Amino acid sequence: MPKLLAATMERPAWTRFPCRLVLALALGGMALAVVGSAKAADREKGSKTGEQIYRQMCVSCHGSNGEGTDDHFPRPLIGDRTLPRLTRYIAETMPEDDPGSCTGPDADKVAAYVYDAFYSKAAQAKHPMRPARIELSRLTVRQYRNALADLVGSFRWTPQWGDHRGLKGNYSAGRRGRRGGGGPGGDFERVDPEVRFHFGAESPIPAQNAVKEASRHYIPLPGLPVPLVLFRQFSQEYRVSWQGSVLAPETGEYEFVVRSENAVRLWVNDPNRPLIDQSVKSGNETEYRASIAMLGGRMYPIRLELARGKDDKTASMELLWRVPKHVLSTIPARALSVADSPRVYVPMSPFPPDDRSMGYERGTSISKEWEHATTDGAIETADYIAENLDELAGIREADSDADRDRKLRGFCAQFAERAFRRPLSEELRKLYIDRHFPGSTDRKAIAKKVVLLVLKSPRFLYREIGTGAPDAFDVASRLSFTIWDSIPDQALRDAAASGRLARREQVADQARRMVADLRARDKLRAFLLQWLRVDQGAEIAKDPKLFPGFDEAVISDLRDSLELALGEVLDSPSADFRTLLRSKALYLNGRLARFYGVELPPDAPFRKIEAAPGNRSGVLTHPYLLSSFAYTASSSPIHRGVFLMRSVLGRPLRPPPIAVAPLAADLHPGLTTRQRVELQTKPEACQSCHTMINHLGFALEHYDAIGRYRDREMNRPVDATGSYETRAGESVKFDGAATLAEFVAESEEAHNAVVQQLFHNLVKQPIRAFSRTELVDLRETFAAKGYNLRELMVEIATSSAMAPRKP
Amino acid sequence: MARTFQENRREFLRELGIGAAALPFILNLPGLGFANQSERKRRLVVMFSPNGVIPSAFWPDEEGSSFQLKESLKPLEPFKNKTLILHGLCDKLRGDGDNHMRGMGCLLTGIELFPGNIQGGSDTPAGWAKGISIDQEIRNHLQRGSSTRTRFGSLEFGVMVPDRADTWSRMVYAGPNKPIAPIDDPYQMFSKLYGRMKDRESLKSILDDLQEDLKKVRSAVGTDDRHLLDEHATFVREMEQELKEQKNETLDHPVPELESGVRHANEQMPKLSRMQIDLMVGAFAGDFARVATLQFTNSVGQARMKWVGVDESHHELSHHPDSNQKSQESLTKINKWYCEQLAYLAKRLAETPEPGGPGSLLDNTTIVWTNELGKGNSHTLDDIPFVLVGGGLGFSMGRSLKLKKIPHNRLLLALAHGMGHHIETFGNPDHCSGGALVL
Repeated sequence: MPKLLAATMERPAWTRFPCRLVLALALGGMALAVVGSAKAADREKGSKTGEQIYRQMCVSCHGSNGEGTDDHFPRPLIGDRTLPRLTRYIAETMPEDDPGSCTGPDADKVAAYVYDAFYSKAAQAKHPMRPARIELSRLTVRQYRNALADLVGSFRWTPQWGDHRGLKGNYSAGRRGRRGGGGPGGDFERVDPEVRFHFGAESPIPAQNAVKEASRHYIPLPGLPVPLVLFRQFSQEYRVSWQGSVLAPETGEYEFVVRSENAVRLWVNDPNRPLIDQSVKSGNETEYRASIAMLGGRMYPIRLELARGKDDKTASMELLWRVPKHVLSTIPARALSVADSPRVYVPMSPFPPDDRSMGYERGTSISKEWEHATTDGAIETADYIAENLDELAGIREADSDADRDRKLRGFCAQFAERAFRRPLSEELRKLYIDRHFPGSTDRKAIAKKVVLLVLKSPRFLYREIGTGAPDAFDVASRLSFTIWDSIPDQALRDAAASGRLARREQVADQARRMVADLRARDKLRAFLLQWLRVDQGAEIAKDPKLFPGFDEAVISDLRDSLELALGEVLDSPSADFRTLLRSKALYLNGRLARFYGVELPPDAPFRKIEAAPGNRSGVLTHPYLLSSFAYTASSSPIHRGVFLMRSVLGRPLRPPPIAVAPLAADLHPGLTTRQRVELQTKPEACQSCHTMINHLGFALEHYDAIGRYRDREMNRPVDATGSYETRAGESVKFDGAATLAEFVAESEEAHNAVVQQLFHNLVKQPIRAFSRTELVDLRETFAAKGYNLRELMVEIATSSAMAPRKP
Repeated sequence: MARTFQENRREFLRELGIGAAALPFILNLPGLGFANQSERKRRLVVMFSPNGVIPSAFWPDEEGSSFQLKESLKPLEPFKNKTLILHGLCDKLRGDGDNHMRGMGCLLTGIELFPGNIQGGSDTPAGWAKGISIDQEIRNHLQRGSSTRTRFGSLEFGVMVPDRADTWSRMVYAGPNKPIAPIDDPYQMFSKLYGRMKDRESLKSILDDLQEDLKKVRSAVGTDDRHLLDEHATFVREMEQELKEQKNETLDHPVPELESGVRHANEQMPKLSRMQIDLMVGAFAGDFARVATLQFTNSVGQARMKWVGVDESHHELSHHPDSNQKSQESLTKINKWYCEQLAYLAKRLAETPEPGGPGSLLDNTTIVWTNELGKGNSHTLDDIPFVLVGGGLGFSMGRSLKLKKIPHNRLLLALAHGMGHHIETFGNPDHCSGGALVL
């Protein structure tokens, strides 16, 4: 419940509020619960300052500083009326929809505020009003971490995720086992989709392999078999190693868990230092845990080893993890690859969170706390680089001192260039590199100093320095931050350096290449979760009496199920936005199946259930969403309606002026959820907003508090009819979720909303700062490309990469 | 293990923060322990060398305060009146594991090993020890008290410890199944002890360059964006100011200077040993910790001490029979070299004044030199060598004692009591009857 309330308190982000609604709210002073108390409202208004009245009644058309809004008053509120004239004008004509509601002392106060704050010439001289512009921004926290990971990673090799899910399992007979595997001895290799084995007392290795391995250690007399004792040694003692890469779906602290009664070791993201080292088997423990931080959307090297000793009666191995916001589960095949990958540098210094007040993370402000965090981050990175200097700089044992110096200098220069996203001028080379050579014979100290300086430099910490048309390096950097939240890779750097980012098609080609990367997929995935308003992880808790067994594990599975559905669309060639809304399938595993009407074995892994029960139509009917926009015991048409209006249709809503507790179901035992909502929002003051909110939410009334389909509630048939009036004034009727989803799939408003939100999510600058027609152009391209989300990303990246910056 | 590393790194960074709020932590290099000056600081060092000793060249013949040091202990001559030699202490712990394993794993824990999968040269396989080691027990006690708490509590030094975790290579335990790996890389230890100070210095050295470039960048951005860079420049200036204010804050002891590029290699062992000892003395002078361990190689360690004229590896030599005179001499040389390290540590402590108090560090430090075996070729756990030097625990020194097969748990108890931690039993209580040894 607190989560849900918070959701309704979100401020309207980037579009205006329809006048009618503002008026109703403003008039009443509050939307709910103060019916018949207009006097109280007046009194309250009477005590407000001019600024408060402005924020209450004017801001939705005129913008928070009088700059205007796109839809209703797209001009700055500046002029040459005198204060008394302005006051009279307001009293007589404002607000446009309900002139006469702001008069007397209120009009005096609001006029005085407007006049002094921005309207008058004097105010304009003090604070000139400008249209939205591309603001200088620092890296967001996500960008900072990704940039550092890729900066260090650029001195290693680039892995390929590939198409083979699971890990390479190498099975070898005998105590020692052999590295490399697959040799002529007792080894064999296979791909294991998951590591969840109970080998029991038997060896997973065929007897002939054990014989073969045994005979390597024993020269048999001709005609005589391998002695039984040796055969037993080589069939009972064996080693298995699993190797490959693991893909982190989220950024955060992961817990890895290994279950085995044998000696085990696990390496994650560091081939030299085991994360779990139980090669010494000691006591009766059979479960080992260790945590490690990982950045989402990246692959990390992983290796797991099992050794069964001669005294072990049985052998088994399970590899599990706890993904942030999830419960412990076996690492699924979809998160594993047989491909190798290099170590990833994961910076862990804590940072203050980014400003999200506009609905997207942005870096247009700094704080002392942030500045300190950048120091910690720079020191942490300098330490890591010093620790791994020879590897990163390609210094070999045999290198002479002169070679070492040359390589170190080369490394430092490349490090600075990649961090700054452009070649170093002579002047900068002196400042950042040359000045620190030679100075000392301690190469690690030199490297640390350069790294510290580079990472504290505004050239690294800020997105783009300079004004006017972007040059090729700016374009490259914009592309990579837009698509990856990170610095350009080798191909992009090469393209920029050789002038292959001059034309739009060239830029689009690069963008298309980049969108195929795991990091781009991760951004799109994260965006869709944000669009669905579940990116922060919904705090779902249900009444255990009504929904027994609906526990944390089920909720965690539901999130996986949603992510599988999103992933399927993102990974398909068409990546069609509309498929998200139309799919009749549901991903279910054994645990979920019993809740959502499908027969599966209790431990069945996820599978796609086509035409799933419950008349599903896409993500709007996904049980994870429906459960999060619901109360513990009942559905919540209001929360569902608010989500549909704000996020899906992009209509701004202001918060109800007071928090209102929902009518308790047990006080109205005769009413259905729909009837209770109608009763509560019946007052006229509520109706202006709730007519729209409720009638969108009602269309989902077939789904209860955990998103199960129902035909009846309180023994009455569910009424899932609803309606919506578009911005163009068209009235749309729904009967149930399918008709709602179909409307949304084809709705220009919904397309605008997704385009605008994706733009802000990717570019982190207001879309209005680019061109007045940016949104319309992008939406048209989106439509022309079959509503392909990846293509939309390419388009956004391309057009924003080439936009000039106003001084 | 990696978890520990990660957490340490993170904790380190958290404490490191160069911000105003974090400054006291950076300034805190001298340690936290000067709060209570009325009570004498007490320190404990446990030094380990492996593979038993040659009894005839080790144990004094006499008992009491008048005794002659034998060849192995000759380097202690200058500290003879500060030395206490305890003959007759036995590691009574039985159960899983061979004697090298139990000798090591039970040495400081006084408790058996878990069954496990590490198979020694004899006996049943075993895992880790079932309990905490006495140094960590004492450390935890000191860290609980506000007047005895220090930045690290304890420091675990090693010299040429093999890079693998097994029962033979770990003697310090944070708890059951929780062995602690010694740090045998002096550079790593240096950065643990003094890393923050170095970071502060590097940071200071780049600030001018940074301010210079901030100015250039400021002029390159649009006028509306300059406020952001102005703010940034202010933060940098503030940091500079904060760092400057610490200028007068200096360490109360000279930072040990390490020769650079000493590799982890057998022939570098003498150098590595000195570096580690110098770091330990520095850490005591700065009151970074009151407890330390210094582990040379490991149980069954294979040092080849060419620098004292012994080419064979230590453990192999230790198996040779008593009749092999040459091996006896070589082993005596090896133990004498270890004793020289002990003497060097004692000397460094003796010549370093106790900060804020009378006397030297050695007056307030007791070094306990021990071994996992009594005698190498018999693998006996009887008569485990315990040679104590220094005045930390307030024992009556300058003596050679001949005890009567007393369980070594009682000495572990005495160490705790000497450090002000009055526990009744430690490790397996069956071996604690009679309580702490009165020394």
